[in-house]
Amino acid sequence: MGRSAALGNVLIHAPLSTTSVLDEATDIVSMVASPWAAVVIATSIPYRFLQALFIDRLIEVGPDASRYGTLLGTTANLAIAAFVLALWGRAVFARACRLAASRGEAPAGEAWRVKPVALTSYIFTGTLAELIFYATLFSGIGTVLAAVVGGLAIGTMELNERASVLGAVRLIARYGRETRILTALVIVFACAGVVAFINVMATFNFGMWLADVFLGVDLSRWNALFSGHNRRFVLAGIAGAWIAIEPFWIAANVVLVRKAGAAETGEDLRVWFDEVRES
Amino acid sequence: MSCAKPLCQECATQWDGIWHCAKCLAAKRGSTKIASHFGGWISLLFSSLLLLYVSARVMVWAGALLSGMF
Repeated sequence: MGRSAALGNVLIHAPLSTTSVLDEATDIVSMVASPWAAVVIATSIPYRFLQALFIDRLIEVGPDASRYGTLLGTTANLAIAAFVLALWGRAVFARACRLAASRGEAPAGEAWRVKPVALTSYIFTGTLAELIFYATLFSGIGTVLAAVVGGLAIGTMELNERASVLGAVRLIARYGRETRILTALVIVFACAGVVAFINVMATFNFGMWLADVFLGVDLSRWNALFSGHNRRFVLAGIAGAWIAIEPFWIAANVVLVRKAGAAETGEDLRVWFDEVRES
Repeated sequence: MSCAKPLCQECATQWDGIWHCAKCLAAKRGSTKIASHFGGWISLLFSSLLLLYVSARVMVWAGALLSGMF
């Protein structure tokens, strides 16, 4: 199975390209959105908001941050604990995406049954990506690398059949050869994050406008809270934006690994023959 | 298929959403119980816990360093 990421044949239609990956990922997300997107969103909320809280505290203590080790350390520990929960949610969603891609319909309860070896491998590789992100926060290229490793970690999760540190890393390295598409995906999702952030902020403002116009509610206090001047609101907006696009990011990586594996093993050719035979 | 050999659809069997040839399927079925790979599990669990611990430390370190720059 290591070399065969072609898990079924339903959604392998177009050759491997950024647009085909995004198209098929969108199809899959619309197929599994209810209820599996809710799982990934619900499990991501604690982690993303604890990250926002950590940044908020960092800004609050400013240059004296090194004197607040206990406060920051406690928040970081809580964030990392929430991160494990988020990894489990992502694993369930990735499995749902993979099953939907192979069957052409939303999976039932079997999406919960993530193999222990796949989940443990993903906790390892997902944490590795997170570590790369924090350690290279100052360099743009490090962040891109962390995003690529994190994406491939979830994409290759179910290809891990044996518990092995090297095996999990080797799988990521093998699919990491699709550098062009991986970089394009990171850029597309970075742009999507900005658009999602604008939408999240606009939604709050629109809601306030509706409450003001139709309900006549006094929103003078809320105006101050839901404004770009409120640091916590902006941080929460960034967290919300990333939570909103996360299901698409996971689906795109699952599709990428699946399609790359299909091209490697000739599965795409077999599907093409099937389609020719049927037409 | 783990062997990655070209095979017609009639000769392949789907198991857990993945296509396998008869040989790979038999090997998979036979290895289900014995492939516990204890050392791999220990190293994977230990590495994961270590990375989680280091991530929390690096998060604080990077944050403190970054906030010190502004």
